[in-house]
Amino acid sequence: MNFRTYSSGVLRLLSVLALSFPGTGFGEMAQLDDGDLASVSGQGGIYLSGDISINELGGPVQNSYFGSCADTSKKCGARLAYRLKEGGGWMVLDEIRGKFSFEGLTLRVRAVDDGFAGDGQLFNRDVLEIGLPNIVRYDSVEFKLAASSTARPTDPGFQQTDIIAVEMQGDVILEGNLLVFPTGNP
Amino acid sequence: MSRSECARYSSFATIVALIAGTSHAVADMQRLDEADMADISGQSGITMELEVGMKADRVSYFDDGQGIHLEGFSVSSASDPEAGARHVIKMDVGADASLNLDYLIEDRRVEFSDIRLAGAPGVSMGGVYFDHTLAGILRIAPGGALGGDGYTFDSAYTMTGGRLGYRTNGNEVFLDGIAMDVEALGMTLDVSGDTLLFDAPSITGSYTVDAIRYSNNPLNHGSSADVTSGATLASYGSLEGDFNISSATEIRAGGREGQGLILNNSTTINSANFIYRDDGNALAFRDISGAYELNDLRVDVTQDWQGRDALGLTLGSLSGGLDIGRIELGAVGKSIGSLNVNFLFADQNFNGREYTNAVYLQGGGHADAGPQGLRLATEWSLQRADLSYTDNGNRVIFSGLQSWGQGDTTVNITEAGTIGETEFFDGLRLGFENIEAGYRLNGLKVGSEDAQLQGGTELLLALGVYPAYEFEVDGHITLGAGGASGEGLTINSDIQITNGRAALIAAPYDEGEGEVPQKGLWASDLNYDIHVRAMTVDVTEEGFAIIKGEAWSTMDIGNLRIGDKEAGSSFGRFVVQSYETGSSMEIVPGGAGAACVGGSGSDASACSASGGNWEDRGDEGITIKLKQIFAKAVSETRKNAFIWETNRELTANGKAVNNSGTKLVLNDIYTSDGGDFDGNGIDDNTFGVQTDIAIDVYQTKVVKKKDGPDSLGVIGSRGDEKIMDTSATEGYRYATEPSTTDIENRPLGFAVQARSQFKELAINNVDLVHPTGGAQTAIYGVKLQNFDIKANLSATPIP
Repeated sequence: MNFRTYSSGVLRLLSVLALSFPGTGFGEMAQLDDGDLASVSGQGGIYLSGDISINELGGPVQNSYFGSCADTSKKCGARLAYRLKEGGGWMVLDEIRGKFSFEGLTLRVRAVDDGFAGDGQLFNRDVLEIGLPNIVRYDSVEFKLAASSTARPTDPGFQQTDIIAVEMQGDVILEGNLLVFPTGNP
Repeated sequence: MSRSECARYSSFATIVALIAGTSHAVADMQRLDEADMADISGQSGITMELEVGMKADRVSYFDDGQGIHLEGFSVSSASDPEAGARHVIKMDVGADASLNLDYLIEDRRVEFSDIRLAGAPGVSMGGVYFDHTLAGILRIAPGGALGGDGYTFDSAYTMTGGRLGYRTNGNEVFLDGIAMDVEALGMTLDVSGDTLLFDAPSITGSYTVDAIRYSNNPLNHGSSADVTSGATLASYGSLEGDFNISSATEIRAGGREGQGLILNNSTTINSANFIYRDDGNALAFRDISGAYELNDLRVDVTQDWQGRDALGLTLGSLSGGLDIGRIELGAVGKSIGSLNVNFLFADQNFNGREYTNAVYLQGGGHADAGPQGLRLATEWSLQRADLSYTDNGNRVIFSGLQSWGQGDTTVNITEAGTIGETEFFDGLRLGFENIEAGYRLNGLKVGSEDAQLQGGTELLLALGVYPAYEFEVDGHITLGAGGASGEGLTINSDIQITNGRAALIAAPYDEGEGEVPQKGLWASDLNYDIHVRAMTVDVTEEGFAIIKGEAWSTMDIGNLRIGDKEAGSSFGRFVVQSYETGSSMEIVPGGAGAACVGGSGSDASACSASGGNWEDRGDEGITIKLKQIFAKAVSETRKNAFIWETNRELTANGKAVNNSGTKLVLNDIYTSDGGDFDGNGIDDNTFGVQTDIAIDVYQTKVVKKKDGPDSLGVIGSRGDEKIMDTSATEGYRYATEPSTTDIENRPLGFAVQARSQFKELAINNVDLVHPTGGAQTAIYGVKLQNFDIKANLSATPIP
């Protein structure tokens, strides 16, 4: 039985959900404090901490374009290319690298039926709560935005023009909770 | 010796000889009268040498007028079914009035070719045969545990050349080359009122099974090699083990209805070991101990809940616990950790329906597989179980597991081919028909059973297990003999899950104040088709290896709901299609070991200098190595795709109609090596997505996110660390500057070290589909290349 497919599918779903509803509800609601949380049922969840790095030393492809980060003649970051027109050029996020660290991202399902200056009682629904980790540390996070003639840099006729390069370093403060819930007709 | 004692000896010898496997020899014995016994006492005894061959068309048991027939019963030589088996039995009476039997049974086969219910004469449960050579002793003395009316007996025997086979429709699976030593001393048999009491205070033994073989040649019958080709039959692997148990059994007359049997049993496993070997590489369960109480098991020839004739085994309750001290994998015996389970099977109401525990054995198996096979109409009710896993002394308990269900499981030994509408594969086929089932977990506890119930069961998703799941299932798993090489398993499977409700995140169903509707994030209205072909499973030198030949599935989540699994509001419909060829999974004992978290460096000082925490997570734990090769689409059912549909039309009763709304479609997702390097005109696809995940149970750092009291009223400041402290009211406190001792008492969680790499992952097109406007392509291709993502994560359950 394909158990791994279950979980990878699930994780994909969760990722999409988290990204698909950033504005829903979040903009309407004030941050809850721990006292508010004490009054809601359906508690329990997980607390996540750690770090994630992308292409710290390079990726798995070794060819004329990609290579180890120790080889300055090669690109060692990841690459994402997409095109919006059939037969057209490709938008590219290239040389994607970096490390993100966070402490205390929480995940749980909870019912909101109180608080928020009375709005919670009117709201009276279940939500997926993503408790933001206060600080996300960016360590040498970088990528380039470019336009390319081909999807692969090894394809014949490859030409690429870098538009901007981005590098991020330091702490980003993310406080409060992201509440995700459906609206409209499913 | 009185005449009555002599009579007791004679009848009792029959019973005990049955246990020892000598019934046919005893059948030829004459009862000794008192004068004969007087002559024998103190003598060297009697030696009987017999050549026993026996055939009976039918042996029947009737219960309330309903019968079960054991047909084609025979006792013969195992190597020559037309010849008898040699028995040598020496018997004498000791000075203490005990009867001593010393027996040797050579190359005997005992067989039933069919087990059939009188009410279902057209089908049979299949045939069973048992080959063996036995040498042993049996001592029977008057006087049981309750006094002079009972018996005490001691038994010891060695079995060699054993073979135990199950055969349906000309195909068979059998344990080959069984060797066993057993010693059971001081067993007693008594009658108390209407109850037969059988106590076995000590049964010790060891066994080996050379191979578990499969044959699809009807000419083979208990032969290690194919009689046509001469080739050794394929094997699932070999077994080895030992045990030391004590047991007490009560037997009374009376079934669940009218006649029948009532059994109560209490067994303690003082110690045991069980080892499965695949080409010499072991999966070993060591240091096993436990106990169970079987209460009110009744045996009837009866009908099941559909009125089908059956041998019914219905249970009052079964409770117990089991400890497995070490689970070892691979050639060098490295341990994953230890497991413990406590369980209670008893009647319980789930979802408004009463469930009990019963198995109704019927003949026939799958309808297309032939007249021989086994059908188990089963209902179960697991009222409660707690499972715990301990990794280097760190224990996590999956608390409050409940399970329920009803349906048919069929068992056939099958040969590859299509019969009727059904495709069969070589092997032992376990079929599932109309099974409605479910399970749910209440939460996690860390450290001990007394610890506070916490959330976090969704961490099981990392192992592909939902924290709660209700479903209807049909399909089969066929276990073929032989792995990727040599011994092992080859699995072919087709499973259809319908009306499923799977929790991706689940809150407790009972927080200590009675059962409540379980809140969560639910994959509801779930239909899931899963197909696997030629998936090999082997124990290797490193661990446990699974290689999929071809696997495809469609997971259609009718509604992804938040809150209640049936009434919660829905995010819409999600469909995940998967198609993989040559994917693999390897499970290796040992987790991350020593790891630098939040920094880099190969030792503690280098790690600390880089700003990281050096953690030695011990030698136990689990590492899972995945290689997922997503193949390009070959058909609408065999491809990788993702669909999200919303704004569907509703029926009059408010049910959303699939394919009537607006869809986002990620179509034809596949991996590639990034080019055609072997020159066959097709891009190579051998690397796939490779993911290594090392999982340990370990102390994790949990930091308070706000000033003031938390959800349980424990006060701390933002940035304080949570420290477990049994002297604190809630079992923990917050520390601003944790001491070394405090750090050793950080809360337990799951430490995960993961690395995921792929050379290329492509999406052929991303479409937006409108119910009237049709599909419009929004993105004409996506290519992700050269990704290597590493993560050090800790996941801690929180209340």
